[in-house]
Amino acid sequence: MKGKTWLFWGGLIAAAGGVLFQTSYDVQDLEEKLAGLNRKIILEQESIQVLKAEWSYLNDPTKLEQMAQAYLTLQPTEPRQYMAMDMIPMRPADAVPPPAQALPGKAMPGAPLPPMVRAPGTGNSQLAAARVPAAPNNNAAAGIVPVSAPVGLAKPLPMEKALERAPVVVPASLPSGAALADPSRANRIKPAALVPGSARVPTEKSATPAAPAAAGKLAPNAPTARPTELASRPIPAPAPKVAAAAPAAQQPYQPKPTDSLGLLVARLGANR
Amino acid sequence: MIGHDHGGPAGYGQPGASTGSTYVPPPAPSPFPQPAPQPSAKPRTSLAVALEQSRYRLMVTAAVVTTVFTAISVKLAMATLLAGGGEPRQHVALEVGDTTTNRADITDRNGNLLATSLVTQSLYADPKLVSRPEEAAQKLVGALPDLDYKDVLGKLSGDRRFVWLKRNLTPKQQAAVHRLGIPGVAFEREERRFYPAGPLTSHIVGFTGIDNNGLAGMEQGFNKRLTEEPGTPLQLSIDLRLQHVLKKELAATVQEFSAIGAAGIVFDVRNGEVLSMVSLPDFDPQDPTGLVPDTLFNRATLGVYEMGSTFKIFNSALAFDTGKIRVSDMFDAAHPVKIGRFTINDYHNLHRALTVAEVFQHSSNLGSVRMVQQVGVAAQKAFMTKMGFTKPTGLELPESGWPLVPNPWREVNSYTISFGHGISVSPMHTVAAAASVINGGLFHKPTLLKRQPDGEIPTEQVVSRQTSDMMRRMFRFVVTEGTGKSAEVKGYVVGGKTGTADKQKGKHYQKNSRMSSFLGAFPMNDPRYIVYVLVDEPQATKKTYGYATGGWVAAPAVGRIVKQIGPLLNVPMVDENTPEILNSTYLNAAGSTNWQQSLPPVTAPPPAKGSTVASFPTQTKPR
Repeated sequence: MKGKTWLFWGGLIAAAGGVLFQTSYDVQDLEEKLAGLNRKIILEQESIQVLKAEWSYLNDPTKLEQMAQAYLTLQPTEPRQYMAMDMIPMRPADAVPPPAQALPGKAMPGAPLPPMVRAPGTGNSQLAAARVPAAPNNNAAAGIVPVSAPVGLAKPLPMEKALERAPVVVPASLPSGAALADPSRANRIKPAALVPGSARVPTEKSATPAAPAAAGKLAPNAPTARPTELASRPIPAPAPKVAAAAPAAQQPYQPKPTDSLGLLVARLGANR
Repeated sequence: MIGHDHGGPAGYGQPGASTGSTYVPPPAPSPFPQPAPQPSAKPRTSLAVALEQSRYRLMVTAAVVTTVFTAISVKLAMATLLAGGGEPRQHVALEVGDTTTNRADITDRNGNLLATSLVTQSLYADPKLVSRPEEAAQKLVGALPDLDYKDVLGKLSGDRRFVWLKRNLTPKQQAAVHRLGIPGVAFEREERRFYPAGPLTSHIVGFTGIDNNGLAGMEQGFNKRLTEEPGTPLQLSIDLRLQHVLKKELAATVQEFSAIGAAGIVFDVRNGEVLSMVSLPDFDPQDPTGLVPDTLFNRATLGVYEMGSTFKIFNSALAFDTGKIRVSDMFDAAHPVKIGRFTINDYHNLHRALTVAEVFQHSSNLGSVRMVQQVGVAAQKAFMTKMGFTKPTGLELPESGWPLVPNPWREVNSYTISFGHGISVSPMHTVAAAASVINGGLFHKPTLLKRQPDGEIPTEQVVSRQTSDMMRRMFRFVVTEGTGKSAEVKGYVVGGKTGTADKQKGKHYQKNSRMSSFLGAFPMNDPRYIVYVLVDEPQATKKTYGYATGGWVAAPAVGRIVKQIGPLLNVPMVDENTPEILNSTYLNAAGSTNWQQSLPPVTAPPPAKGSTVASFPTQTKPR
């Protein structure tokens, strides 16, 4: 009897000891893992901080404005381009325009472009067509892609194709020759190329429902889209810097993956 | 064996120890019951002593053992139960909000970073551990070309135990040095303050020193807060986009008029937030040292200037608020005012009596002086004190200028103050006070921190609602028919007041160096924002026909700024000629606010542009 009791207690103690050992090692493992995770988190946090700083640095409005002037055909927005939601009339039920179908190189009637865009297909369609007779159907697509305006396409391209053809960031620096390779230059709009609204094709104006009184004074509270005013506004010269830098930048700028840190580091400057 | 001692550990005698000659019966194991051994028993004495001894020994031993074991168990209990389990180091998972840095970020009102801390590595050496300094120095200079060989060698062969070699290495440089594997050279984790917006917000955010303590701007003003709560970013009321627009236009103005500097403020009149504040020339907060010290000077808050005609805002508000003067009252503006040795005159004397509206429109000094003559010195002093012109603005920046206020405040001072001379305040003073004049009379202390949407805004009613309403019309009148026409932006109902002050150099006013400013506000039917531009020493150009006054220099800049920031600030465009707008903004030269009756403008010849120079009283006799 006595021996059995000893055996029982002894076994219990041994088992408890074993479990304790096991637990202890498990805890150690977990702690190591936790410490490793914490280290990783700190590392990630530091990289996030760097990325945030870089994001803010690259989003510096001054720099963005310069780049927009250099590479985009967008204009600074004007107060009149904003309007309150309740100023927009409800669409009559029966006046649903037909889906976008337009001739190549010609703006679609009935869908005026947003006025912040130097209309690619309308204003200089003659000009562009005169310069690039070979590839007329590409003009409208290649002009300005980021705008969601229904720019007429002869045949709908798949998205990837359209993006491929649209040189959004190519800074007019490609070795020219083939008009297709250089549509951005063809579409780079000189201020002179903007045709005042009065000189436009009359059908376009009459078919524009958004500008009911384009000839006279507009309804005062309706800052509607009036692309014609583009011509009268002084337009900043489209970035002579780019033209100068064009031969240097033969290929579109491809940021290297290590650039971000280098950029930041350059910004951090020399030792104080 | 005679002297055999019966004591000892063996116990009572020896059972069969009959070696002795005499038989002594064995004492203890007697078959018959025996009374307990009596200590006093004579033959047992030695045994009893031994027993006593051993008992004592046992007790002492037990006591010692008990004490020791008690101590051990107490310590054990303390170590295990009370001291947190006795773990060597507890690992705690990081919290979400934890940061690795020791200084909080500064963001603008939309969350764009204005200042942040980045972790970098700095290189240091322990010269004692560097075995071959020449070789080490050579290698280091090879890896870090901007180090000087002699300098590094001197540091490495010195006697100290710690020298900085280069601080804030880039990761690439760190890897290069690491690969060299020089003993005694190591890295230290450090933080480096980084300003993504660069010079754009330099005067607001300020900068820090090498050890990351703030030395200017908000970095200094909130140094404690930034280090104590590194997890929560400090959100300013600044809007980076407005800041950009303001700086761009100011820079263009400075360039156009070859000015030496400029200051600009965009201010929310409803809650006192400073949405944008620029002072030119500015500096790069990354490297504020080694530059012209002038660039560190914040003209918008630290600089105090004689504001010139913009002070007629407060003169008119004072006049209306006392109730003694109405907008249609006439004041003589034909005859110069003589006081003491001074003569006060107008830049463009119209040689007739003017209404209050016309005084404001043409920025007439004489009219202003006549008005303050009627109001009185004491009322003016009290009003200016209420407007906050006698103490710093209370802005959070350490760079807040003390106004220069005349003491004592005499009659001649009151005359000059009525058109903005003889008192020097910072642009921020002017803007905050002007905001209270047009927003319905509520003075808000200007702040650079974003107001909480549900937070209480401390306000103080400084002028009456009626006064404020009339001042809005006056503001608008200056832009529609007065000196500030070029600030007009279609749809935004801009109003404002021009100001041009001759600068004082030494004891005299300079004719050709002046401060031209424009204080614009929009939309005047329900003012929301003030745009203030001050240009320091603009030079007239051909385009401005030789004028460098507020109406020619600063007003167009304000117009361009309003045009660009209006959409960003979500201000709806309105038609200025609708009855609702005219009802709240119309004023004519005769002082009538009834726009329906007076559609053809009543009197007032077309004002000469730029007639805003507040000419200071010239001394009639030289000193």
